[in-house]
Amino acid sequence: MVNGAERWHIAYLSSNSAGARLKIMKIMIVDDEQAIREALGRKLKREGHEIILCRDGLESLRFFHTERPDLVILDIVMPEGMDGLTVCRRIREVADTPIMMLSANAVTEDDVIDGLTAGADEYLIKPVRLNEFAARVHALLRRAQMSVSENEQRYDDGYLSIDLHRRHVHVNGRRQHLTPTEFKLLAVLLENAGRVVTQKDLLEQVWGDGYADDVYYPRVYISQLRRKVERDPANPIYILTEHRVGYRFEKQPSSKPG
Amino acid sequence: MNGSFNAISLLINGVSLALALAFLFILLWQNRRKELNQFFAIFLFFVAIWNVSTLLWQMLSLIGFEPSLQRLIAGLAELGFTGSSVAAYILTAVLVRAHTRSFRNFAIAALILLIFYRTFLIVNSAFALPTSDSGISFQRQPMVIGFYLLFGFGTIFLLWRYSRKIRSTAIRFGLILFVVGQTFGFVNSDLDVFQFAISLSSIAALILSFSIVGSEIIKPLAERNSQVEAIRRVSLAITNLAGIETLLDQIAQQAADLLKTDGGVSIFLLHEDELEAATVYRLPPQYRDERLKIGEGMAGTVALNRQSMQVDDYGHDWRGEEDFPHARDTFGSVICAPLEYGGKTIGALMVIAQRHGVLFQKEDVYLLELLAVQAAVAISHSQLFGEVEAARRQLETVLASTESPIIAIDRKFKLVFANRAAKVLMYPSDTATTFNEGSVAGGHIRDYVPDIPMPTNYMEAMRAIRQHGTYTYEVILNRRVYLCNIAAFRSGDKHIEGWVAVLNDVTQLKELDRLKSEMVRMTSHDLKNPLQAAMANVELLRDDTVSGFNPEAATALDEIDWQLQRMNRIIRGILDLERVKTGVMKVDILNPAQIVQEAIRDLTHFSLHFQVELVYEASDDLPTIRGDFEQFKRALINLIENAIKFTPNGGRVLVKAYAKDQNIIFMVQDNGVGIDETQQPHIFDRFYRANQKGTEHITGSGLGLSLVKTIIDNHRGAIWLDSHIGKGTTFFVSVPTTLMNKASHSQ
Repeated sequence: MVNGAERWHIAYLSSNSAGARLKIMKIMIVDDEQAIREALGRKLKREGHEIILCRDGLESLRFFHTERPDLVILDIVMPEGMDGLTVCRRIREVADTPIMMLSANAVTEDDVIDGLTAGADEYLIKPVRLNEFAARVHALLRRAQMSVSENEQRYDDGYLSIDLHRRHVHVNGRRQHLTPTEFKLLAVLLENAGRVVTQKDLLEQVWGDGYADDVYYPRVYISQLRRKVERDPANPIYILTEHRVGYRFEKQPSSKPG
Repeated sequence: MNGSFNAISLLINGVSLALALAFLFILLWQNRRKELNQFFAIFLFFVAIWNVSTLLWQMLSLIGFEPSLQRLIAGLAELGFTGSSVAAYILTAVLVRAHTRSFRNFAIAALILLIFYRTFLIVNSAFALPTSDSGISFQRQPMVIGFYLLFGFGTIFLLWRYSRKIRSTAIRFGLILFVVGQTFGFVNSDLDVFQFAISLSSIAALILSFSIVGSEIIKPLAERNSQVEAIRRVSLAITNLAGIETLLDQIAQQAADLLKTDGGVSIFLLHEDELEAATVYRLPPQYRDERLKIGEGMAGTVALNRQSMQVDDYGHDWRGEEDFPHARDTFGSVICAPLEYGGKTIGALMVIAQRHGVLFQKEDVYLLELLAVQAAVAISHSQLFGEVEAARRQLETVLASTESPIIAIDRKFKLVFANRAAKVLMYPSDTATTFNEGSVAGGHIRDYVPDIPMPTNYMEAMRAIRQHGTYTYEVILNRRVYLCNIAAFRSGDKHIEGWVAVLNDVTQLKELDRLKSEMVRMTSHDLKNPLQAAMANVELLRDDTVSGFNPEAATALDEIDWQLQRMNRIIRGILDLERVKTGVMKVDILNPAQIVQEAIRDLTHFSLHFQVELVYEASDDLPTIRGDFEQFKRALINLIENAIKFTPNGGRVLVKAYAKDQNIIFMVQDNGVGIDETQQPHIFDRFYRANQKGTEHITGSGLGLSLVKTIIDNHRGAIWLDSHIGKGTTFFVSVPTTLMNKASHSQ
């Protein structure tokens, strides 16, 4: 791949059941190993998506700006230039595009949490089976384009205001960018305000089937969310932990002047 | 009859007898229980009777007297004469300590018989003594002559036979003079030599009594001082020596000097149940290291009975085994005294005189016993000191030569000991050679190592030392990493006196460990990428060839895929183990049932693949445990995975969690092939794969159970198994429950 990203146009609209339900998406795959990015790309192409392949961080950022993909799949360790975590942070600075990390060197859970904290919505550890990979990609895409139109719910107490329909969150009057996963999480909690949502339910509703094992996902995202919406993330007042059960959104009395 | 001669004779007799009696009183006063003194008294008694009765006879014959009185006196004189010759014999036998007890008893019996017979004759006056004006003569008395010949010659024989045993020439001379004197009594009475016989005998008695007093009282008294001096010299000589060899030589030499032996000295020391001749002095050098059993030889007998022995002639008198080869032919008089210390025999001290050489006396035994007491104390102390010294030197050498710094401090943190390595650590600028051992002591530890790192958690360290004896923590000094192992040292009454720290330099190990982790990380990354590419491509290929493809190719693809999965599991196994070993364990409150359920769920697919029925029993309300959920689940999964792998198709694996005492027991039971007893101790070893018939086809990394063990250890749990070939295996994991309330709280 001497001259940048390969671009595979959709050869056919797959009759694949998963693909059939989904809109055609533009997916960018960043991995320094040619064999891997090509194999992953081929799989997703068969699912009916448009694929952009990049081999390093800088290239991926360039293509991100020009191609505006709907989903980014990022390897973390890349020998040249920027690593995956940095790319992730740079993308997060400008966009809410769903990002999936795919890494070989996750030795501890902390590595996974580092990735999620950098802004990834999903963290897969190599080697991953293609079918599982595809399923996770679809789940992530579904989460991102979750239809919120029927949900007219709003919340505003003067400090924190949430508009689910327009996907707007304001904290102390300033607009906060939430990643799709963060937003979905907030939405589920808000819909169940005052009630405890169990970890299991959260995983099912936010991430979808097949995530039951990833118990640390909610934990990481809850703390991300708290950092964005709470006045003091260490002493949360909106998003409360029910120890060993789950989480609960607590509405606060309005502090609007007047 | 010559009057003047009579007067001189009278004078000599009277004076001699009076003096002899005076000496007798001194002897009896000194020790009347002594056999020699008693027999000497008897002897003098008879001499006195003989003398007095003869004097009376002479006096009476001058003035004229009654024939009956004359007979009485003549009888008394005869009694005195015969009695004194018997008594002289007995006295000689006592003096030479001759073993002729039966003859002596016979002599005493004869004496008593004689007394009764004479008394009977005198009282009844039935015996008519030949009256003669010229004096008393025994010529015509066959019984008197018989007694005299028997005992007179007996005395001479004893003197000749045991001449060595009588040290005093005066005694020897006195006895001979006495016998000779008595002989004159048989010479023709007309020559008046009978008087002469009495005078000679009186003088002999005087000489005897004087020399006996001399040898029994004066000489011992005179020698006492020199003995005390000798003993003092010996004590001084032997108590100042440390080396056991020199000490033994010195004791042997002192013993030889003290007893003035012309032979040699041997010191036997007890080793286990054998006496060994540790030192020989003036004896053949090959006698050294000669061994005797307890009870064997004179030394062995002495050691066994703890009583000194003395023989005058080893070859003749010692009836037991020889102490040394050819001892019977070369040893003369021998004294052997036991060496005792603390109520135990530690050996024997033997002083040997040459054959026909010096003859040891009773006093010599006494002297040797005195010396033996001193020697035993000195030898024991030297041995003990030697042992302690050897142990100390050994320890010092070990401590000095070890590369690990060792520091000991007392309760006030004052430095008590530091080995060479520790001193180098304390004074890094100086060279090690400038230090003498033990040159540092006394100061506070911070004076030497100002930044010495103490355990950060002091209380925990103290508790660990109390419970386990040691506490280990990491210390960084001079840019090197040490594992510091602290242990308390205690005095006899368990009171802590101070602490010893051994520092093990683990810098290299740490570096190696870091490198190893680095390599594991890198390898895992490097292997996972190709694996990912291969797996993905196999899957793509399989998708391409779903239908209308060569079934053999499809099987081959499946096989490739399965092998890739296996490779993946091995890599994951290594990484998991690495993570568990190096990582920090999370501590949460865990519900046992939840762990079991999740582990079962993860393995449902796996058990289907192997066609093994997977069943579990775990109540939701079991007490909770403390630990890392992921790790614990990993351990359980590994156990169940193993159970499934080693169970044939159609088998059954039961997973059960239940409470027992303060523990939760996790049980994983299969009805598979079982584990051979010889393999059981090794199955938790890293990379160990049971090499058992019928299991060759089963794949694994050899890391699974090692990981399980590590995890369970981290959870302060225990793991054990019960297995029978062909029947199946049951693994048990026991973990303590939390005693905390399960109450939840909200934030």
